[in-house]
Amino acid sequence: MAVSRAVSVAVALVLALAMASPAPAQETIKIGDLGSKVGVFEGYGKYQTMGAVLAVEELNAKGGVLGKKLEVVSEDDDTKPGPAVRKAEKLILQDGVKLLIGAVSSGATMAVMDVTKKHKVIHWNSISCAEFMRTTKYHPYYFSNQPDSRMQANGLVKYVLDKMGKKVYIFYTDYAMGQSDGRQFKTALEKLGGEVVGVAGAPLDTKDFTPWFGAIKASNPEVLFLAFAGTDSLRLMTQLHSFGMTKQYKLAGIDCFLLQQDLPAIAEPMEGFVQLNHFSPYNPDKDMQAFTERFKKRWGVVPNMATGSYDGVLFWAEAVKKAGSFDADKVSKALEGMCLDNTHIGRQCIRPEDHQMVMDMHLYRIEKGKNTPIARIEGKDSIGEPMVGKDPVEGFTWELKKK
Amino acid sequence: MDYIVAILLPQMLHGLVFGAALGLLALGLTVVFGLLGVMNIAHGELFMLGAYFGIVVIGLTQSFWMALILAPLLVGVVGALMEMFTLRPLYKREPLYGLILTFGLALALREIVREIWGGDMRRILEPITGSVPLLGMIYPRYRLFLLAASLLLLLAIWLFFTKTRAGIIVRAAVQDAEMLDGLGVNVPRVFTLTFAGSAALAALAGLLLAPVFTVVPTMGVEMILLAFIVVILGGMGSLGGSVLAALVIGQAQSLFSLWMNPQRVAIAIFAIMIFVLIVRPRGFFGREGVLE
Repeated sequence: MAVSRAVSVAVALVLALAMASPAPAQETIKIGDLGSKVGVFEGYGKYQTMGAVLAVEELNAKGGVLGKKLEVVSEDDDTKPGPAVRKAEKLILQDGVKLLIGAVSSGATMAVMDVTKKHKVIHWNSISCAEFMRTTKYHPYYFSNQPDSRMQANGLVKYVLDKMGKKVYIFYTDYAMGQSDGRQFKTALEKLGGEVVGVAGAPLDTKDFTPWFGAIKASNPEVLFLAFAGTDSLRLMTQLHSFGMTKQYKLAGIDCFLLQQDLPAIAEPMEGFVQLNHFSPYNPDKDMQAFTERFKKRWGVVPNMATGSYDGVLFWAEAVKKAGSFDADKVSKALEGMCLDNTHIGRQCIRPEDHQMVMDMHLYRIEKGKNTPIARIEGKDSIGEPMVGKDPVEGFTWELKKK
Repeated sequence: MDYIVAILLPQMLHGLVFGAALGLLALGLTVVFGLLGVMNIAHGELFMLGAYFGIVVIGLTQSFWMALILAPLLVGVVGALMEMFTLRPLYKREPLYGLILTFGLALALREIVREIWGGDMRRILEPITGSVPLLGMIYPRYRLFLLAASLLLLLAIWLFFTKTRAGIIVRAAVQDAEMLDGLGVNVPRVFTLTFAGSAALAALAGLLLAPVFTVVPTMGVEMILLAFIVVILGGMGSLGGSVLAALVIGQAQSLFSLWMNPQRVAIAIFAIMIFVLIVRPRGFFGREGVLE
């Protein structure tokens, strides 16, 4: 007891001293990198860090921004909204970050949006894809270069109906991201004349998916649409495969279903899987190849869809230069409608209405553990109308329309 | 007919595989309760330790089968130490003390494991890979092995309790420990060995299930809740009741999953438990007076 009291007194003293001493003249500008660094989505969070750090190093090599060097501060949010909010506040209030990138999980990102809105900090999302972020939760400091669920569904559905089958079972991870993907996919599919024969959600971090398999088989689909991510996807695919279901159905999924790095380990179950994605290191596109080379040289691994944080830093830095200030209101204005040529997928522009990047995406088929492009989808065809302030799921129901 | 073969049968097989493994976990729990009068909350952590010790042994020997032998033995030792140094002083007190103690032990074990191995998810690869055609469907070999291993172990445990002298002594101790003491049996040693055996069984279940699930420090928490339900349903302290209840829960979980989202099935299982507790508080084969 006495020891612990002594320790807490010591800690309090140190803290008091730290706060009392005058803040040193700020040498560097800090950028917050928030997201899942361990656990079910740790791959995404770690690549997000690598993307941001690469951009910061490239900018620092050219002298930084407005004469200041940049520095990345990373935090783990335990993939949960509560800790994400606390870490976002820590990054903003304690580290004084001027740009906050993150989070990984949609639930966490939406919670962090309240923090960035309150403290007026530029918030860049490059992984989360729930449909509320550029609609009901939108605020002027929020920007995204991650295609959200609506955009992904628009891009994927036509191909599924034309090339894979009309009867689709939607299986999703039951939290913000999966629900959002499931909803948008169902809406888009039914609009184009497809039939949803079944839907089911499984909790985040489900260990055994076999209890769900009976219902999937009973509804007799042609296509299984899977909205999972991270280690959930890994387990799901392994289990589907061991029950012969990867051969029985055609499979399609969202962009964050599995990272490129995870594919070789389960190449066989994933063979033929159709995945929508804005990036692949195996896309012959010259801009993607150039980025892949630089990334590989720095980190020794190939980049993936979670490295879009790179663009976040570049766009923000360009806007700061244009505005001549780190002030969030000025930077936000400068970002609206801005285009850059040197992003990780070449020239990209931010749509002023909802701060969404108008991104071209590709459909990839997974062949021998590699994402190989099979079709290109123009950003303008998939992005959909701006819906700031409008409910993107108005009138939606999970009920199946019987044919 | 197609529905039965293509949908119902596979689902029942999933339930059987899971139920049999759950039975292994619940058996140790119910024996310890019957003998020591302790509801061992830390049983789930012994299950989890089995998987982590398994990872260590696999790392050293590259063999899942070695791990399957060594990890339960090691966890058995941990169990014996737990019984001797923490539980033994509490036997003469109210059962609540044992409950609180094992609750604390569970927290401690979980955090120690997190400290040593980290909170990240770990995988143990299936030692038997591939799938086989079975009854017109495809079924993974490892799950069939899991089923066979669980059923064999359950049979072995039944033989142990009915046919061997050691097993009969344990059952006698459950009935009347004082009388057994009077007959010259070293009862404290029976207690220690029984607790160690129950720990080893939990560890074995943990390691057998690890390739199907994943290994994380909290893996015991999810399972222990089901194991408690099994023990309550089967009747506290009843071996046969626990096995039957585990198979019932396994079937209920996978059959209900056909008609409702498996996430909601937990509610249905609790409903069954509440119903049984109201109508027949002693469970399927429980002794009168234990919970009545």
